[in-house]
Amino acid sequence: MSTTSIPVTIIAGFLGCGKTSLLNHLLANAKGRRLAALVNDFGALNIDSELIAAQNGNQISLANGCVCCSIGDDLTKALAEVMMQSTRPDHIVIEASGVADPARIAAFTQVDRDLRLDGIVTLVDATAHHLHADDPHLADNYHRQVTAAHFLLISKTDLVAEGTVQSLETTLQQAKPETPIAAIAHGQFDSDIILGLGVDAPHETPLSDAIRHDFRHWAGHMPAHVPRADVIAALATLAPNLLRAKGVLADDDGAYVLHYAGGQVTTSAFDGVPSGHFVLIGKPDLPNNEDLDALLKKQKECA
Amino acid sequence: MNKIYRAKSIITMNPNQPRATHIAVRDGHILAVGDASTIDQWQASWGEMDIDTQFADNTLLPGFVEGHSHMMEGLFWQYEYVGFYDREGPDGTVHAGLTSIDGVVARLRAINQAREDQTAPLIAWGFDPIFFEGRRMSKADLDGVSTECAVIVLHASLHILNTNSFVMDKAGVTAGDNNEHVRRDEDGQPSGEFLGQLGMYMAMRTTGLDLLGAAGSAQTLVNFANVARQTGVTTATDLANPLPEKDVETMRQTVNQDDFPMRLVVAFQGSGGDPEAGVAHIQGLQDKQSDKLRFSLVKLVADGSIQGFSARLKWPGYFNGADNGLWYIEPERLKDLVAAYNAAGIQIHIHTNGDECTEVALDAIEAALRAAPWADHRHTLQHCQMANRAQFKRMAKLGVGVNLFSNHLYYWGDAHISTTMGPERAARLDDAGGALAEGVPVAIHSDAPVTALAPLFTAWCAVNRRSSQGVQLGGDTEKLSVAQALRAITLGAAYSLRMDGEIGSLEVGKRADMAILADDPLSVDPEGLKDIDVCGTMVGGRVHMNAKPDA
Repeated sequence: MSTTSIPVTIIAGFLGCGKTSLLNHLLANAKGRRLAALVNDFGALNIDSELIAAQNGNQISLANGCVCCSIGDDLTKALAEVMMQSTRPDHIVIEASGVADPARIAAFTQVDRDLRLDGIVTLVDATAHHLHADDPHLADNYHRQVTAAHFLLISKTDLVAEGTVQSLETTLQQAKPETPIAAIAHGQFDSDIILGLGVDAPHETPLSDAIRHDFRHWAGHMPAHVPRADVIAALATLAPNLLRAKGVLADDDGAYVLHYAGGQVTTSAFDGVPSGHFVLIGKPDLPNNEDLDALLKKQKECA
Repeated sequence: MNKIYRAKSIITMNPNQPRATHIAVRDGHILAVGDASTIDQWQASWGEMDIDTQFADNTLLPGFVEGHSHMMEGLFWQYEYVGFYDREGPDGTVHAGLTSIDGVVARLRAINQAREDQTAPLIAWGFDPIFFEGRRMSKADLDGVSTECAVIVLHASLHILNTNSFVMDKAGVTAGDNNEHVRRDEDGQPSGEFLGQLGMYMAMRTTGLDLLGAAGSAQTLVNFANVARQTGVTTATDLANPLPEKDVETMRQTVNQDDFPMRLVVAFQGSGGDPEAGVAHIQGLQDKQSDKLRFSLVKLVADGSIQGFSARLKWPGYFNGADNGLWYIEPERLKDLVAAYNAAGIQIHIHTNGDECTEVALDAIEAALRAAPWADHRHTLQHCQMANRAQFKRMAKLGVGVNLFSNHLYYWGDAHISTTMGPERAARLDDAGGALAEGVPVAIHSDAPVTALAPLFTAWCAVNRRSSQGVQLGGDTEKLSVAQALRAITLGAAYSLRMDGEIGSLEVGKRADMAILADDPLSVDPEGLKDIDVCGTMVGGRVHMNAKPDA
């Protein structure tokens, strides 16, 4: 692994859990990154034909610089082919098959100095979690995927009652207390967080401690109206334990999106209704949840 | 051209005429089968025919059919063979077995020093550490071959490989890399041995070579066919292949040559991707077939291997407590794939190793047959090594055949007893006797190049059920008789490929495909079955003799 190594994000989860929606979202919100997405089935991605710049065999190039590669029967070969092309991507996203062990896929990054693991994101289907966790043929796979995750996303939360999501979150939290959990619908989640887990980042992680499980995650709703200077001041008190933050808020200047990454805060105007939803990802030394609630003036969760 | 061949004896597999001494061949087909007393009648009806006595001291059998092999066998002969046993290459050269790690290193060092370009990757195959007590091969061993080029030694199982330091440095493997697929030495350092896809990926990235690929070349096909010829095989399979257009063209140009000594059945690799596209791909290949080249099957790989602990086992799982294996296809998706191919009338061969996987595959087939009934589908479970009697019964009821991996009894039998399954389940490993008793159509196979392509050896395994350490697995209920085993490597495998109407037995009207043997397998001691010399084959009436061992 070198400092120029390409980060690899693995998206795991069962058939039908929303991996494709998340991949579509990441490809549409690559934000200048040239992603190479290794996917099981092009057809399922259903990429808008206007976005396709070129299609060549098992590879589709998108207008925004991203490429999608079909895995076919051989992930090994598909990944090696991406790495042997003259133009390398900025970031590789691998869609694991529904029954793959994502930890085994992550191991590829250990035998290629040009790759590093950015993180394993496991989707847990809010509508079918019990079917998977209790299926005698699948239960062990389900637990493997949850165990391997650096970030757990509860998907399809719009299709179930709030209580279902909360009890699933509690179950997962008990199974993996160190792992951040977030609830999503329609595959929508901040691509900077999904692609910025930095599990095996070269500047801070010694190889002997290659895979860490020590993220903290906090998510909640802030007051709809918050001056951005206040939020920036609050975040400043959390550095250096803060890795990522994102929220869509509003103040007297209008709605805005706030990002925190790499120690820098950026805000940009948001065209829409601010949700007040705010997400933090940081190191274990972040204040406890109650203190974070107080600091960020967390509002009562609403449906 | 008409010809009558006189043999010492002919074993026909035709129940109503099990033995003969004379066989007449015309236009690549069998015109007549009988003995000296029937020749006059033949001549009267079919005209004058020469009597060829070159097989007067030989026993003729239907050409052997290898129902589960890989074209990779031909590819590997372009690498260096370093297996434990003597193995005959495609040109008839016997490559002496290597009985120590030092022997492997010495052979590879000599090969390297004799090469013009000593910086090109040096690839070896067939290495099998189960025969070496004590230590395992390390990167230091292979550094003794060279430190100036990539040295990669593939194990016989294909699931493991060893590398030298050159490869590990290039890949960037460090002591801190913590993974169950990176084997460590006593000091906790990566030893140079890598398991599973991890090793393949590293080899591909550091050498640019797809060690298991390049299946499309003509040289690979010719090597494969020549190895087949030496072992009496006249029809072999490639299970499976993505069948890109370019490779299909190479196959057509190579296999259809008159002097290419083998028929080839290639299964489409259907595990990944969309089944509708797979069905269309196979349908698009139907008019590219010939009498020697078939694209009639789809192969699905549903789990991993038992010795690699990636097969899916029913309770109580692995004997050593290892976690259950991996699905290679989600059970739900397997159902969709089987349903789609079955509905399209395409025969399906499913790789299932563990008994849990066999159960799920049968569930998928049963559901597909309810949705689209097909009386003579001949869907076949490949390997199916741990199936129990209840599963065989179910297979018989569903019309599902089995092609068992009998060579496992010898190569991994000891490991199955001690580590993977324990003695009780290992006793029914590849239970060909049980499958036949329950009424399941049976074939047996080598999975070449995983084990050597040699149907008489495979038959020996099914008959004697003995491990490399000399331990017998199971008893008479699991064994095949010699006659049953010979049927399994001819008509049994032909049935599994839907070709039993044209090959697999020596009967009037069938293709003139024969194995030419030095001894009569029904007369030798069953212990000696594997040692019978194969003199050559006949494919479509054309004789292909092997080089004499002493030539």
